[in-house]
Amino acid sequence: MPAPPPVYLDHAATTPVRPEVRAAMEPFYGPQFGNPSSAHRWGRAARAALDEARERLAACLGARPDEVAFTSGGTESDNLAVLGAWRARRDPSRRAVVSTPVEHKAVLAAVHCAAAEGAEARLLPVSGDGVVGDADGAIRGDVAVCSVMWVNNETGVVQPVPALAARARAAGAVFHTDAVQAFGKVHVDVRETPVDLLTLSGHKLGAPKGVGALYVRRGTALAPLFHGGAQDRGRRPGTENVAYAVALTVAAEMTLAEAEAEHARLSRLRDALEGAILAGVPNAVVHGAASARAPHVTNVSVPGVDGAALLLALDLHGVAASGGSACQTGNPEPSHVLLAMGVEPSLAASAVRLSVGALTTPACVERVGALFPRLVEKARAAAAAGPVW
Amino acid sequence: MIPSDTKGRVLVAMSGGVDSSVAAALLVEQGYDVVGATMKLFCYGDDVPDRPCCSLDSINDARRVCERLGVPHYVLNLEDRFGHDVVRDFVDEYARGRTPIPCVRCNTFTKFRDLLRTADLVDADSIATGHYARVRDGALYRGLDPSKDQTYFLWGVERRVLRRMLLPVGGLTKAETRAVARRLGLAVVADKVESQDICFVPDGDHTKVIRRTLGDDAPSLARGPILTLDGRVVGEHDGHARFTVGQRRGLPGGFAEPMYVVAIRPSERAVVVGPREALLGRGVVAREVNWLAEPPAVGAEVRVQVRHRARAVPATLVRADAGEVELALAEPVAAITPGQSLVLYAGGEGDDEDVGQRVLGGGVIEAAVGARRSLPVLAA
Repeated sequence: MPAPPPVYLDHAATTPVRPEVRAAMEPFYGPQFGNPSSAHRWGRAARAALDEARERLAACLGARPDEVAFTSGGTESDNLAVLGAWRARRDPSRRAVVSTPVEHKAVLAAVHCAAAEGAEARLLPVSGDGVVGDADGAIRGDVAVCSVMWVNNETGVVQPVPALAARARAAGAVFHTDAVQAFGKVHVDVRETPVDLLTLSGHKLGAPKGVGALYVRRGTALAPLFHGGAQDRGRRPGTENVAYAVALTVAAEMTLAEAEAEHARLSRLRDALEGAILAGVPNAVVHGAASARAPHVTNVSVPGVDGAALLLALDLHGVAASGGSACQTGNPEPSHVLLAMGVEPSLAASAVRLSVGALTTPACVERVGALFPRLVEKARAAAAAGPVW
Repeated sequence: MIPSDTKGRVLVAMSGGVDSSVAAALLVEQGYDVVGATMKLFCYGDDVPDRPCCSLDSINDARRVCERLGVPHYVLNLEDRFGHDVVRDFVDEYARGRTPIPCVRCNTFTKFRDLLRTADLVDADSIATGHYARVRDGALYRGLDPSKDQTYFLWGVERRVLRRMLLPVGGLTKAETRAVARRLGLAVVADKVESQDICFVPDGDHTKVIRRTLGDDAPSLARGPILTLDGRVVGEHDGHARFTVGQRRGLPGGFAEPMYVVAIRPSERAVVVGPREALLGRGVVAREVNWLAEPPAVGAEVRVQVRHRARAVPATLVRADAGEVELALAEPVAAITPGQSLVLYAGGEGDDEDVGQRVLGGGVIEAAVGARRSLPVLAA
């Protein structure tokens, strides 16, 4: 009997490049190879493509073209936002950088870096359901920058970004949101939500790895991370990657066009998957289940079962999932997100993140829903074997 | 799904070193469905510079080997279990004035118990390592290369586990292993420098591990007297954990004959020294005994080894109680050390291939039994 085809349930880690995106990039690896900064016809053709990409991506966000900077991805955008805004401000009466303990490491490490440069790092509290709040009034007049992710990459929990952004604005702080997992999953429009900086990543949307963008509201001062030419108004020196800018734009447009239908479809798939897992493993815990969640992620712990071992067994059965963030692979520590939510370390160590997306069909979910409880049963039997002595 | 055209699935414990890499490669060649796993066992934190056996580099090396072999590779975090079963015991044994061998407990508990559970989970029939030892029909034998034999560290494995163990390099010399690595294009590991140290002990200084676990005021690292056998104070030491039976380094000079550590008495924080003859034992008592063959009867002739790389000597089993054995040695053996392993090999004469090769079992040395019975070798 041939082995069934593998099942990819790790769309929160990355997604396949859309065929339309590949096609849109193609000319820039051929005749349209010009440097957008050149004045001749090759340069002009590249510049036109880049300008158009910037305009169309801005439209996806409700932004103006000059408010969009292309970057190498989510990590660069997060660093440029947090460190760029912190460094540009340099106001002794505003030394605080506010963030949350459930951010992606790209933000947390940037906050850490700002702290090393003299900032006071201030983390907002997180509820047991994974929701960030500002009950203690941490967002106040001494805050330079506040960074809160819109959708958590490990749990899918949607954060109250509009409320927190409004609070930051009232306090005179720059507000950044990492919207890498949010774009296409929740309604993102910078005309409606008072964010000053917003991170996008291409490869979560069907563009290649290595491209992202940062929305920068007009008037937001930003110190660049790189130093060089005057590309992108000096915000992001370096010859622009035209093919990737086009790729991100096409991917973002397609994501938005299908957003409503995908939201419904992914919700159904995610709910079916969760339902099957909970039916087969009644004491499984879905982290953040009581909160508003993006439709593509479920994060499940099974008490007494080692998550890494379960992932290994799933993978050998052809099912790809992850423990928390893919960026943590090779360092299998319990997730900092779950620990921040107050999850016991042993339960956090058993967490498995399954994320549905473009490649997911009801058949995938059915298969994993049946396999997951079987492997849990096995893992439990192995753990119950007890010590030799 | 396990492909049906293979010899079955085997989980290979891969350290990133040449031995376990070649073990995996040979199993792939032999048609096994190999799954590589690197165990993350400890973390020094930021204060200790990278070492070849513990850093992310070794995980990367193991992964590169698996990529080269076309088999999956995983990292398993066993830090908690290893910390409890191996590191904590290591520190506690030093506190008891003994000299532990963490590798024995790592094999017993971490590799061939905890990792075996992962093997069960992924339907792997066997578990393989790069140890220089051989398994045949559920029996454990020394590695073919006497200078590399590692059975001294493997006696604690549960007997029924032997049937699930594959030790593919046990029949090779180290040079042959390196040659296989080069033949198979495993350049990453073929010429790697071999680590002789205990993997979690930075710079070979085990007192750092004790200090990190128990703090600066660990009693085993506190100042104490150096005593002669008749109780005279002849000096001071700065921690009995720095000493092991048979050691000369760190002792005061000025004696008529060379002096050695002959005992450690943690209750007095004392290191006891004596002349070479005081080191000699005519018998040995071991506990936590584990048998890898039918337990021999009292009176049975066996061969025993009391240190890694020590010569095995003929011995007679004089007592075998629950979990404890006593052996009479056919010749005096120096520096029998509490905490080290006593490993029993098949005894007798003639050309029986088991003689001196097959591991019968082993235990943790509790005490030497000397010609001078009063020797204070027993730890408190």
